[in-house]
Amino acid sequence: MKVTITEWHGAAYWRWNTDEDDDICGICRHSFEAACPDCQLPGDNCPPLWGECSHVYHMHCIHKWISQEASKGQCPLDRQPWEDKRA
Amino acid sequence: MLNIMSIKKAKAANAGAPPTSKTSAAQIRLQKDLADMDHLPSTMALAFPDPNDVFHFRLTITPDEGFYRGGRFHFTFTVPTSYPHEPPRVLCTQTIYHPNIDLEGKVCLNILREDWKPVLNINSILVGLQYLFLEPNADDPLNKEAAAILQSSRATFDANVRKAMRGGAFGGVTYDNVMVHP
Repeated sequence: MKVTITEWHGAAYWRWNTDEDDDICGICRHSFEAACPDCQLPGDNCPPLWGECSHVYHMHCIHKWISQEASKGQCPLDRQPWEDKRA
Repeated sequence: MLNIMSIKKAKAANAGAPPTSKTSAAQIRLQKDLADMDHLPSTMALAFPDPNDVFHFRLTITPDEGFYRGGRFHFTFTVPTSYPHEPPRVLCTQTIYHPNIDLEGKVCLNILREDWKPVLNINSILVGLQYLFLEPNADDPLNKEAAAILQSSRATFDANVRKAMRGGAFGGVTYDNVMVHP
């Protein structure tokens, strides 16, 4: 049998490399594949960010929290000093 | 996997408001909180006086055990547009006798103040308030007289709570009658 392909459509999906398929940001409760509340488009401009403590949030969500005095600079889940995990 | 549906839902919820407005972000998060709590225990009830205003609501707690059993306690919640980066403001609308609630209704609960974190939600506060009625905490008082009595004699404290809940007056204060069956 001889097949001639006249047209094709590529399809792809992506997800961040977080632990679970439906992982959500503990601060805004949106999925990581959706944008944080302050962004309109998901993707590289609104990435998840891990701390040295291994917890992960939208980068914008955790930085907004850490910039507040009330945060005492701590991870909201374990109260360890928050430090961005180095890649 | 990319959850198109959740993005669409978020966009739909945003419709009519600028997508970047803080108000809508707080509202979306608050609505998620409320949607996750469809099974409140029978001792708690939420009410929304204005169905279009999710930022102001009331909570009624009717403890079925402990010092405050038989009473009905009302609170108002005001959720800031910065939620969840700042906690809701919670006030008791009655004059009650409680070590951790002053006569103006201010509530001393750690997660409403210094221990608030944006991973907490409305349900965390409900659990905390319920716990205050089951185990009033004499170590961190707003009403110091009540706390001192709780510490020195639980029987006297219990008698005072009973008296205050029935609308009694003592120590120069007239309390509200909060009994479910007055």
